[in-house]
Amino acid sequence: MEQHSQHFKENAARALADASAVAQRDILALFTPLMREAAVSEFGDFAALRDHVKKMRQHTLDNLDYYLARFELEATNNGNRIHYAETAEDMNSIVLDICQQHGARKVAKGKSMVTEETGLNDFLQRGGMEVLETDLGEYIVQQAGETPSHIVGPALHKTQQQIREQFLENHDLGERDLESIGDLVGEARTVLRDHFLEADVGIIGSNALIAENGYSMLVTNEGNGDLCANLPSVLIICTTLDRVLPRAEDATAIQRLLVRSATGQPQTCYTSFYSGPRRAQDADGPLETHIVLLDGQRTDILASDYSEMLRCIRCGSCLNHCPIFAATGGHSYGWVYPGPMGSVLTPLLTSLEASEALPNACTSCGRCEEVCPSAIPLPDMLRDLRHEQSVQKITPASWRNGLRLHAWIATRPRLYQALTGIGISLMHRLGGKKGGFSKLPLASGWTSKRDFPAPQGETFMRQYRRRSQSNER
Amino acid sequence: MNDDSRSRIMSKVRGSCAGNEAAVIDQAREALGSAPSAALPHTDTCIAFMTNVLRNQGTLDVAPDRSAAVKMIAQYVYQHYRSHRLVAGNDPRLAAMPWRDGGVLPRFGELEAGEQIALSYAQWGVAETGATVFLSGKHNPSRNNFLPEHHVVLVDADSLLPDLETLWQRVNASMAQGDRPRGINCVAGPSSTGDIEGQIVYGAHGPRAWHVVLLGEVSAEQSDTARALHAGE
Repeated sequence: MEQHSQHFKENAARALADASAVAQRDILALFTPLMREAAVSEFGDFAALRDHVKKMRQHTLDNLDYYLARFELEATNNGNRIHYAETAEDMNSIVLDICQQHGARKVAKGKSMVTEETGLNDFLQRGGMEVLETDLGEYIVQQAGETPSHIVGPALHKTQQQIREQFLENHDLGERDLESIGDLVGEARTVLRDHFLEADVGIIGSNALIAENGYSMLVTNEGNGDLCANLPSVLIICTTLDRVLPRAEDATAIQRLLVRSATGQPQTCYTSFYSGPRRAQDADGPLETHIVLLDGQRTDILASDYSEMLRCIRCGSCLNHCPIFAATGGHSYGWVYPGPMGSVLTPLLTSLEASEALPNACTSCGRCEEVCPSAIPLPDMLRDLRHEQSVQKITPASWRNGLRLHAWIATRPRLYQALTGIGISLMHRLGGKKGGFSKLPLASGWTSKRDFPAPQGETFMRQYRRRSQSNER
Repeated sequence: MNDDSRSRIMSKVRGSCAGNEAAVIDQAREALGSAPSAALPHTDTCIAFMTNVLRNQGTLDVAPDRSAAVKMIAQYVYQHYRSHRLVAGNDPRLAAMPWRDGGVLPRFGELEAGEQIALSYAQWGVAETGATVFLSGKHNPSRNNFLPEHHVVLVDADSLLPDLETLWQRVNASMAQGDRPRGINCVAGPSSTGDIEGQIVYGAHGPRAWHVVLLGEVSAEQSDTARALHAGE
């Protein structure tokens, strides 16, 4: 996918100017954390589950060579063909080659953020394939010529009315009302049903690859992923090598965490495990199955100080709890992965330069780490990325010099207290009567939206010293 | 497989790993223990299963014997389609059902486009998730689980399992005997989507309705308790 992360501030300003979209995001930001909270509190010992999964994921990453080799062996024995793709371009070429070898024309695709990352749809279409996304959100976004705004709900930025107009324009189905969301879902079901039945190739992602038996786990609600996995004669699973888990019961633990964290459900409608192609005794299923394992910088991340990021299970919980994501929406981030996980992953998967604004799009509130099912220290990673940007002089010089000046003063307590004392006293005298400032030098970003409150007259340290002295007397 | 890509990727992965012996890795993994499972709505596995089926937006019938099950299925099919036709997988257990008792006319095989109702015999039911589990194979085409408008599922009361760990113990035991199914499908509800404004709609791409017929010794008290637990939400 083409990256626009460098325009984060402009994207965010545009997103904030759309009042109805802001209102829609506010509702989702209120609603999705409540759903998660209800599911988590019903579970029982969710903290123990989270802790177990964190340790198990870390153990897997620490021994990824062992588990990856085991998965490859088992999956090959199951009849799969395993492909390794070092880059996004490699993955796209491998998939197109498979399609062309089978003389394929139609591809039915389940939701896969990895293929969003590689821009697979465009690549296959340029190669002559008709590619249709079948997850409802992805279908809506693809038809609109847009990109997903959320890794779990790709079209949550669109209103019912916008989707209605889109369907009326794009589906040649005559006069109809499409008044309800149910009508819209029903129409997409009808339109996509033929595509499922006619597709030559199905492409899906994977929520987990199980080393001990070579199975791939697929967790969905709509059933489209399973139709892609079962109906076409060729199945291609596009995923990354960090999805590997040791045992089936570990995938089960992920399943418990993932659905509660993602949608607040105790379980999704469908959880499936696929081993490989149809066997002689099978009634149905694909005749050929391929698993394409993308590296795409994952091995670099594994070797870096950010390896814990590979524990991410793509639940989207950090997005749902992030005040920046809620305010600016997913498109502002300008690439596949938005929100806190995206602000860490995007610089690591692309470049620090192209993603300069993303690690700074953070209030350091810490909610993302609190709700992360894999307990990834996202705020720490964002801070470390900001530090790296500063060291590499990617951060603007004015900002770096300002920080350097602040650090110089802040590490000299007497000077710091004297200067802040003067500043607070001055601001109190100038703004005390009105109680605030409507304009303030160097703080126009604040005062353009709200008044800056006038200080009470004394710094905390000065009050503390005064009170301590009076207590001693 | 592109051997060069594989070698380079594996080499980079190895460079970040400790390179421990298999026995050491296995020992470390076992030391992590097992994950806790979800709290069940009731200590009785059967009640917990039925409660979760209802919570998953499934509909539920309890049949004491096969004749009663056939009549209930007939009633369900007639109620929705004014017909007695359905498609059932080639499962010998389905073939042996007394279909005449309900006047049902099953066609055995794979569901074709345009056919509305599929009947599957679940291998297990899982109380923790309220899911019915199917192993694809000669007797159980996977498409029958995903393609129909209505998915009717028979599950034996004595095949209910408490949690997902027990499910995998059974699956692993079956695999140890050389039977590694192509697909293991855990179905826990009619298909759904919340992709438009977060509003949940049933009948996305898979079945619009999921009807479970629990076959075996289930008391009226168990059934009532499950319905009360569900209604009390």
